Amino acid sequence: MSERSVRIASAVLASLGVAITTYLLYVRETGGSLVCSTGGCETVQNSSYAEVLGLPVAALGLTGFLVLLAAALARGDWARLTNAAVAVSAFIFGAYLLVVQIVVIDAICQWCVATDVLTTALAALALVRLGQASSGRWMP
Amino acid sequence: MSALRDRRLQLAVVLGAAAALAAVLVGASLIGARENGSGPVPAAAAAPEPEPSLFAGIEQSGVALGSPTAPVTLVEYADVQCPYCAQWSRDALPTLVDEYVRAGKLRIVFHGLAFIGPDSNTALRTAVAAGRENHLWDVVHGLFLNQGSENAGWVTDTLVQEIAGGVPGLEPDQLLAARWDKTIDPELERSAAAAKAAGVQGTPAFQVGPTGGRLERVQVVSLDPEGIVPAIEAALAR
Repeated sequence: MSERSVRIASAVLASLGVAITTYLLYVRETGGSLVCSTGGCETVQNSSYAEVLGLPVAALGLTGFLVLLAAALARGDWARLTNAAVAVSAFIFGAYLLVVQIVVIDAICQWCVATDVLTTALAALALVRLGQASSGRWMP
Repeated sequence: MSALRDRRLQLAVVLGAAAALAAVLVGASLIGARENGSGPVPAAAAAPEPEPSLFAGIEQSGVALGSPTAPVTLVEYADVQCPYCAQWSRDALPTLVDEYVRAGKLRIVFHGLAFIGPDSNTALRTAVAAGRENHLWDVVHGLFLNQGSENAGWVTDTLVQEIAGGVPGLEPDQLLAARWDKTIDPELERSAAAAKAAGVQGTPAFQVGPTGGRLERVQVVSLDPEGIVPAIEAALAR
């Protein structure tokens, strides 16, 4: 998989993440109801775990996906390193939130699971991209 | 060898930064959850000593309390965030339950409204979801007794879990999930339509009449039992 392909795939996935988190944030701020086939989205969104440092988790997610999108579009070592660091931390934080949903809140939010899938794929792609650059297969 | 060292160094830097960032986020999340009081609750704190229920032994069916064959029906229109509704629930309802509902003379129907704000909606959906398990009155009364400041976020998961936890037959976590079911929306719309048809412009508002017959609006002059009992007695006397 070429560096270019990895970056394009990352940009597509990050854009999906931006769309999902924007939707979650919009519903939260307007007080609407989430489209939810798992039945637990509102419970998760209204739980005390839906905020970190006073900010909605959806806002943190949106920020993270925007950074990942920018890092996917940019070239250079800083873009690769930032991409990998943010993607891996998002993957870890997403895994933590998934455990919280299952163990503490006892409700599953399909949108959170969707972003977990995205961050998992983005983290994998970011590490692939990091390895490609280090092994000299990518030419800026 | 140099390329290999660089690669390992880069990987170590990235993983270190990622772990540090994730640790900050997880730590902040755990602290925030604990401060908001909805985090993992110790078992002892989650199981307060149960108090005898006001409605123990009385039939509940959906939004109705009492025997379906009771001669008189009282309809209450209320917003769970409305302080006067809470006062009526505290001061008048127990007398009505003990003297009329328990005696099979009165059936009370709850039509919830949610015009005060977001907490009204959360509370009402919770109540309607409990109504599907025939425990609406337990939950509505519990919410009234624990009513907080308007739209301060007082209808917390923890509060709902505590109220539902004290009601035999209600599963708190299932209730938390069920209240956001889309199929609850039509029930809320029915109550809103009933209030509109009855000309309700503020809460609490009441209608009294023969069960299955024509109900009439009652203007209560006080929020204690004396404010509503005369209308109930008059309907029983007809």
